[in-house]
Amino acid sequence: MRNIFERLISEPIEGFLNRFILFLPNLISAILLLIIGLFLGWLTKKIISKMLRILKVDEFSERHGINNILTKGGIKDKPSSLAGRITGWLVFFIFLIISLSSLNVPAIERLLERFFLYLPNLFVAVIIILIGYLLSNFFGRAALIASVNAGLKASGLIGRFVKLTIFLLAATMALEQLGIGRETIIIAFAIVFGGIVLALSIAFGLGGRDIAKDYLEKKLKGEEKDEIEHL
Amino acid sequence: MNSIIERKEIREKLEEIKEADILVGIPSYNNARTIGHVVRAVQAGFAKYFPDRKCVLVNSDGGSTDGTMDVVQKATIDDFQSILLHHRVRPTLKITTPYHGIPGKGSAFRTIFEIASALNVKACAVVDSDLRSITPEWIELLIKPVIEGGFDYVAPLYHRHKFDGTITNSIIYPLTRALYGKRIRQPIGGDFGFSGKLAKFYLEKDVWETDVARYGIDIWMTTTAIANNFKVCQSFLGAKIHDPKDPGTDLSAMLYQVVGSAFDLMETYSDVWKKVKGSEPVNTYGFQYAVGVEPVNVNVDRMLDRFRLGVKELLGIWKEFLDREIIGFLRKAGEFPKEEFHIPDDVWAEIIYSFAIAAHKKLINKEHLLKSLTPLYIGRTASFVLETWESDAEEVEEKIENLCIIFENKKDFLINKWEV
Repeated sequence: MRNIFERLISEPIEGFLNRFILFLPNLISAILLLIIGLFLGWLTKKIISKMLRILKVDEFSERHGINNILTKGGIKDKPSSLAGRITGWLVFFIFLIISLSSLNVPAIERLLERFFLYLPNLFVAVIIILIGYLLSNFFGRAALIASVNAGLKASGLIGRFVKLTIFLLAATMALEQLGIGRETIIIAFAIVFGGIVLALSIAFGLGGRDIAKDYLEKKLKGEEKDEIEHL
Repeated sequence: MNSIIERKEIREKLEEIKEADILVGIPSYNNARTIGHVVRAVQAGFAKYFPDRKCVLVNSDGGSTDGTMDVVQKATIDDFQSILLHHRVRPTLKITTPYHGIPGKGSAFRTIFEIASALNVKACAVVDSDLRSITPEWIELLIKPVIEGGFDYVAPLYHRHKFDGTITNSIIYPLTRALYGKRIRQPIGGDFGFSGKLAKFYLEKDVWETDVARYGIDIWMTTTAIANNFKVCQSFLGAKIHDPKDPGTDLSAMLYQVVGSAFDLMETYSDVWKKVKGSEPVNTYGFQYAVGVEPVNVNVDRMLDRFRLGVKELLGIWKEFLDREIIGFLRKAGEFPKEEFHIPDDVWAEIIYSFAIAAHKKLINKEHLLKSLTPLYIGRTASFVLETWESDAEEVEEKIENLCIIFENKKDFLINKWEV
């Protein structure tokens, strides 16, 4: 009876306690690393924000329209505090990874390994989205101004269309980078984009036949001067 | 190749000529149709007004494919007796050469400056190759103030139709005058006279790989001369009639080039213009007379449509750098009926200064900024056309004078915001 009790209850508990005692230093060091990470993250945030403020990065960003882009993207923070916060979180994140790997748990280690292998994709995707956002704003605005100057009534629509198309292209590239529904996204984008181009071609072809005819006639015959071109 | 004078044929030609007193440069690009007349007018000008001086004509060509350079070489005046009674006629020395560097009027001018410097000339002039109204007197009027009056820079003064040259009238003249304090009426006229000393000064400037080489050379030459305290004056040349512009030339691209160049120069000479208060007239030469000018068609309704479209779509961009009151005014102006449409001088001056400040502070991309000015400029021009529909040339000039005074009075607004 005693043997059975030892084998069923006491030994597993003892084994668990032994493993726990062996695991305890790892856990304590993980918790310690997490606390250090939290502190260093907070400290880095403060230092970076202060340093960037001294270097007048906020004023520089204001002058170069970076603040404006951030505001448009729904970010109200100043670039200095934003950069400080991102760096702080990055430091904390690094310590979180170190603390998790210090636990020496095979399952967590495998998870971390997969995460680390995936991380470059995530980084590239974020960069693609960021560049896509900036480019879509830039070209959307350029298209808007150009079509207003060409006197096109649908200028607003053209500007928004260009902006959305570029951003969609960037988003597609980012998702492809992340390996999410690779083929589906490319096909969907090709269908949507091709459809829009086809629709526009048909619309211009059918609706703008006379305009195109007039335009070509004017160009070929060298019609009278545009009344405001002389300005 | 760094300099045109390193080219063998040019070096030989320069060694043959050695030195000269006067040089007239003609930049060209596919102007075979009109350049013959310009060359003959220059030759006649040399013979009639400078018979005792050694004169050189330089054609700086941008790689024409229509035989422009051949026309220049062959153009001569067959019968000098019909235009001259008793002057001694020397054959005109001619140099025709393709220019080097970035394609553009500025690079063509650089070649002219280099040859002027190598020949150590006393006075130079540059005239456009598409001019139809140039006469031999233009050469006298552009060169004599330099040779006999001791001036370094001679700007042109033309009579133009009241609705012609509106970029000059509504932006460049008021802005240049308010900034640098000299009343040069046509700062971007295109035909100028200047001393050999100033040509050498221009040549020393490190701008020949910038936009100055492409376009904006006119405003650059005028501003550089004024800001560096060279002695400036202007000469009345009559009417300026030239080949019609390429209809493909985009108004917003032109505005971008001209206004962009003026704004760039504001950066270069910010220490100079901040100190200038008010403005002073400059000496004006030539006998002023009323000339018939080519009529200009304007379509105010279409202009107002463009302005309204701009207000509807671009207000969001303008909000980034225009004051709230101006934005409020523009919003209202977008709804004005044609009869009530008016953009006052003070609002216009503030708009131009705000654009200059936005360009200085790089608030948005420069090309976007300047191209977004187009609808406002068209609106302002429509307002000016409506206001001066019944006015004669004198009344129109008075209105431009009032605008200039407002630009001068509002200069503190520019200075205060420039630094903040």
